[in-house]
Amino acid sequence: MRKGLLRIAWRASSVLLVLAVWEGISRSGLVNPRLFPGLGAIGDEFVSLFTTGLIWEHLGATLIRVAGGFSAAAIVGILLGFVMARFALFGRLFEPFFSATYPVPRVAVYPIFVLAFGLGHLSKIALVFLECLYPIAINTYYGTRAVDRQLVWASQNMGASPRQVFWKVVIPAASPHIFAGLRIALPVALVIAVITEMIGATEGIGYLVAYAAASLSRAQVFAGVLVIAIVGFALDRAITLARDRFIFWQRPGVAIG
Amino acid sequence: MRRALEALALPLSVIAIWEVLAAAGALPRYVSRPSAIGAELWQLARSGDIVEHAAVSLYRSMTGLLIGALSGIVLGLLSGAIRPVAIFFDPLVAFTNPVPKIAILPVLIVWFGITDTSKIVLIAITTFYPCFLAAYAGVRQVQPAWIWAARNMGARADQVFLKVLVPAAMPHVVGGLRIALALAFILMFASEAIGTAHRAGLGFLVIFAESGGRFDLMLSAIATIGLLGFAADRLLLVAARRVLRWQPEVFRA
Amino acid sequence: MIVEVERVSKEFVRGEQRVRAVDDVSLSVGQGEFVTMVGPSGCGKSTLLHLLGGFLEASSGTMRVAGNVVSRPGPDRGMMFQDLALFPWRTVSGNVGWALEVQGRPARERDEIAERYLQLVGLRSFKNAYPHELSGGMKQRVALARLLAFDPAVLLMDEPFGSLDAQTRELMQEELQRIWSETRKTVLFVTHDIDEAVYLGDRVIVFTARPGRIKADIQVDLPRPRPIEVKKSTAFFDHRNHVWDLLRDEVLRARAEESA
Repeated sequence: MRKGLLRIAWRASSVLLVLAVWEGISRSGLVNPRLFPGLGAIGDEFVSLFTTGLIWEHLGATLIRVAGGFSAAAIVGILLGFVMARFALFGRLFEPFFSATYPVPRVAVYPIFVLAFGLGHLSKIALVFLECLYPIAINTYYGTRAVDRQLVWASQNMGASPRQVFWKVVIPAASPHIFAGLRIALPVALVIAVITEMIGATEGIGYLVAYAAASLSRAQVFAGVLVIAIVGFALDRAITLARDRFIFWQRPGVAIG
Repeated sequence: MRRALEALALPLSVIAIWEVLAAAGALPRYVSRPSAIGAELWQLARSGDIVEHAAVSLYRSMTGLLIGALSGIVLGLLSGAIRPVAIFFDPLVAFTNPVPKIAILPVLIVWFGITDTSKIVLIAITTFYPCFLAAYAGVRQVQPAWIWAARNMGARADQVFLKVLVPAAMPHVVGGLRIALALAFILMFASEAIGTAHRAGLGFLVIFAESGGRFDLMLSAIATIGLLGFAADRLLLVAARRVLRWQPEVFRA
Repeated sequence: MIVEVERVSKEFVRGEQRVRAVDDVSLSVGQGEFVTMVGPSGCGKSTLLHLLGGFLEASSGTMRVAGNVVSRPGPDRGMMFQDLALFPWRTVSGNVGWALEVQGRPARERDEIAERYLQLVGLRSFKNAYPHELSGGMKQRVALARLLAFDPAVLLMDEPFGSLDAQTRELMQEELQRIWSETRKTVLFVTHDIDEAVYLGDRVIVFTARPGRIKADIQVDLPRPRPIEVKKSTAFFDHRNHVWDLLRDEVLRARAEESA
């Protein structure tokens, strides 16, 4: 019993330590108290964000951009990955392009998007789309190529038409990889949305936090960061759950025989 | 040979079409044209302006990357090898990992102002995560048989760590480094574009040029960022290939 | 003759290298015969099976099954793959009934047939389990049930028991033998295991080392039905040694080529 409690305490220790240190610094007067709002002040700000309804307008805007860019990238990316895998020529044309430009920070073209689409949703959705496209397309491409040849042969052996082979075998077999791509892309969508909002926007969570920093409402900055953290966490949970439901056969099972 | 040509086919045709359309006046001004961008880049390189900004940007990003990667890799390797260390760090890392680290930037600006420090800290924190996670995973997937064989041959715990776990985890670590490198460049740009009061760096240059309507300059700066990111990644791959000579397959993104 | 192979060759080209896997092989198999094929590693016996299955194209020669020229895969030549190729995202029952599904048979009929064949291989109570929950031997039986369920005229089996432990393998051999006596299908069975080849087959075909040619075509006149105890008889021993002697030279030759 004691060992169990000790384990839990040790596990939570790092998180508690950080919180304790934080509160300590805040109260000690060592640092300018305005730079280090206490946990209480942050908590108050956090709550007021919700009670004043301020948060919904901004959070909503950010989520629209995340959802819009991500879903567009998912549709186009998966299709593109399939085409690249199915038609070797496409693969040879596009794959080196993707690999080469992967490490290039595509965020840098955001100002061009702003010039083209303005400061509203579209420029941000466009960048989110561009960024998310990469992991989704590449993972779909590799996943489709990696489908076990014997699975395809077995289905053909059993009389499946090319269409049936594609829908009933290739897609399920490639889905773990496709999901891996989606899982990488979702947090990217959030990061990019927040970045673009901090660089130039009129609403959005990123804008809110940047504005709060600029107008010296420090506790609000931390409260806003906390909101972003929660959103990021929630999205990660969501996609993990989705994955577990879809790719159920890869969860380790106990052999019966 | 043919593959190299095919690989270049897409980018070259895009550039060619771009140039033609721009010359015909079919494209908006802010997209400019490859020839103009090239000329501007050449000028900037000769006069040394862009080199200054590039140097500042690289200083920030590489310093941050160094700190983040080093701490991430070391702590990740140790966490993978020593259970109590893992138990300590795991909740912290797992909980904060899904948080987009860019959100910290305003906090850092509050504390350190718009300086190099806030940028370096941001990049260090951000690059810590992929390196930590990769190193941790790399150690965890080491086959028990290897460890047992080492012990069987008389290796001490620290020898097992340095001579078995670390080399075996290297492929994963390199993968993490690649992601970290890409993130370093992204955040370098983002932090410079947001905190433009600090008037230096390629990210700043892009925003500055854009607000002044100097599109050639803007696109040159963007191109420079892209080239640097690409070159850095290639360098990393070359270094990785040497370290991972024993691996059958070249590393993939 | 239900299976006719006439002077078939297969060459693989990998960049600069040309590898002749199968060289001028001719073979005839009658309805209901169980033919086993043995040979050293890399001798092309699996390749021949894949050619008959229509997954690979022959470089020269023709193959006919039930009078039709072989050109593409199809359910008339059911194949059991080395890695089984069970669909991990479908249940056991879903896998067994899969061929019937793509042929458009109604669900009730499919379930009925699937159950029947699962009963045959002794796995009826696992029909709702998923492949990853099963042991190696059980997966084998599911693959076998799936194969039989769409009633192919010819069965092509590519080292199906290769990955099983020795004990399970013996049980599976006996099981296969029993099922075959009930259904009397035409079978072409590739294996490394000489004992297995002699135990299961009416004929044992011995391949040479690469490039694969037929070295010998041996009649196995052991009585049927063949319980597993047959393996203890002198007659079995004689057949087995005969095959091994023929094979030994080829195995050594293949080994020498590797170290050349």
